[in-house]
Amino acid sequence: MNVIEAVSLSKIYHRSRTQALSDITLTIGRGEIFTLLGRNGAGKTTFLRIAATQLMPSKGRISVLGHDVRDEPLQIRSKIAVVPQEGSTIGPLTPWDHVYLTLLARGMSRNQAHERSEKTIERLELTEYRNQPADSLSGGLKQRVRVAMAVATDAELIFLDEPTLGLDAVTRRRIWGVLNEIQKEGRSILLTTHYIDEAEILSNNVAIIDHGKMVLSGSPAELLRNVKEHVRVDIVGSTFSEEELNNYGRVVKLAERFRVLTDDRLGRELADEALKRGSDVGLARVSLEDLFVDLVGRAEE
Amino acid sequence: MSGSKQFRAAVVIGYMLSITWLRRNLLSLVWLFATPFSLLFIITVTTGGRSFALGVIGSLLLVLSTVGTGLAGDATWYRLETKLQDFFVASPVNQLGYLLGIAFAGLFFASPALVVLLPLLVYIGLPLIALPIVLLSLAGVWLFSSAIGYLVSTFTSNLRNGWQSGLLLSVLVGILPPVFYPAEILPHNILLVTYAIPTTNAALLIRDAMGSTPTLPYWSPLTGWLLIAVSLAIALAVTSRVARWRQP
Repeated sequence: MNVIEAVSLSKIYHRSRTQALSDITLTIGRGEIFTLLGRNGAGKTTFLRIAATQLMPSKGRISVLGHDVRDEPLQIRSKIAVVPQEGSTIGPLTPWDHVYLTLLARGMSRNQAHERSEKTIERLELTEYRNQPADSLSGGLKQRVRVAMAVATDAELIFLDEPTLGLDAVTRRRIWGVLNEIQKEGRSILLTTHYIDEAEILSNNVAIIDHGKMVLSGSPAELLRNVKEHVRVDIVGSTFSEEELNNYGRVVKLAERFRVLTDDRLGRELADEALKRGSDVGLARVSLEDLFVDLVGRAEE
Repeated sequence: MSGSKQFRAAVVIGYMLSITWLRRNLLSLVWLFATPFSLLFIITVTTGGRSFALGVIGSLLLVLSTVGTGLAGDATWYRLETKLQDFFVASPVNQLGYLLGIAFAGLFFASPALVVLLPLLVYIGLPLIALPIVLLSLAGVWLFSSAIGYLVSTFTSNLRNGWQSGLLLSVLVGILPPVFYPAEILPHNILLVTYAIPTTNAALLIRDAMGSTPTLPYWSPLTGWLLIAVSLAIALAVTSRVARWRQP
C-alpha cells in the first residue's frame, strides 16, 4: 500500500501570484524513505506542507495513508508527525520537556510517553543534555531535539523538512542513522533536502523537483541510468584545452577544474594522460549530483 | 482525539509554555506585574487611596486581558519562529485544543498576579460568596482576549507586527475601557460603545458584587452577563471560522 499518492497536484500562492507546484504526480510506498530533492524555492516544502495537512492544495488530488488531504485531514493527523523547516526550540525548555510534553499533548499515556522519550533521547545521543535549557544548546543539538520530537511519536509517516540544513557532517550522519532505524521499524519517511549525498545515501526513492515541476523520479540507481556517461574525471591545474577535452566527453567547467563526463574506457585514457601531463586528477563513477546539476542546470539555461 | 483528550492536550501545552518557562525564567513575572501594578500605584497615589478598589479591579482585568491579547505576539512566535503551530497542525491536537493550550499558558503566567490581586479584592470588600461571580467574569475576559489575540496572530506575517498588535489590543481591551476609572464619567455615546467590550462589563459586575452597583443607562447585572456572553460567543465563532489553522 502507498502512504502518499499525488495526482496532478498543483499549488498557486494567489497573494504572490506564484505557481509553487505544477502537476506533480508521485507515489510513496509504505516503509520507504522518499526524498524530494531540489534547490531552494523549488517547491519541496510546499509539497510536504500539503501532504502534512498544513497547506491546502490548489488543484489535483493527494491522499495520505488512504485519506484525502483536502477532506479528511483529521484521519491523517493522528498518524503523522512533522519536523518543520528552520524552526527553533523553545527557550528554557529542556530536551526532555520538548519530547515528553509533546508526546503527552499528542495523547500518549504518561508511562508510554516516558518510555519513548527515554529511548529517543538516548537514540539521538541527547542523554548528556537532557536537562539543560534548550537555549544553551548548540544549533546541532537543538536540531536533534526537534527531530526527536517527531521521531518519538508513534506516527506511521514522518515528514522532515530539510532536517540537516546547516548541520555539521557528524550530526548529519547521526540523524541519518536514526532515520534508518525508524525505517526498520516499518515507518515511512518523506524527506526534503538539497543535499544530494543525503538523498543518495538515505533514500529508496527520490523525486527531483525544479521550479515546481517534477523533473525525474525513481530510485537513485534508476535515476543514474538516465546519465549517458558512466564516469567523471576531475582535472585540476589542467594542461588541456577545453576543445581537447571535448574529444573525451562532455565537459563541465567547475571553478578551477574541468569535469569530464564520459565512458569507462575514455575516462581511464583521460586520467592516464592527465597524470602524464602532471595534473591532479580524480576518477569516479557519476553520482546523483552530476545528474542533478545536469538536469537543473539545463533547465536554468 | 476525544474532547477530554483535547482538553488534556491543552493543559499540557499550557504547562509546557508557561510553568516550565516560569520555573527557569522568573524575570518573566516582572514584565507581567509591571503595568497593572504601576497603574494601581498611580491611581492609588493620585486619588489619595479613594480609587484603590477600582485600581485593583482594573489591574485584575488588565492582567487577564493582557495575557489573552498578548497571544497576538506569542502565537505569531509559535507559528513563525518555533514552528510549534505547524508541529501541532500535523498532529492529533485540533485548533481548539491548541488555542486553549496557548490561552492556558497565558492564564498560568498570570496566576501569580491573581494570587496577589484576588485576596486583595476580598480584603477590600468582596464577599467570599461573590467570588465565583468574579471568577466567571474574569474567565469571560480571558477567553475573549485569547480568542482575539490568537485570531490576529494567524493573519500576522511578522513577529514585530505580532507584538505590536498585542500591545494595541491590550490598550483597547484592558486600559481604555472603564476598568481603572468609573464608567459613570464617560459621555453617553462612548459609554454605549464600551458596553461591547467584555472588560467593561466584567468591571461593572465586580463592582456590583462588591456592593456598589453602578447606575448607568441600559445597564444591569443581567445585561452585563448577557453582553459578556454575546461578545465571547462572537469572538469564539469568528475565531473558529476565520483563524487559519491549515494555511489556504
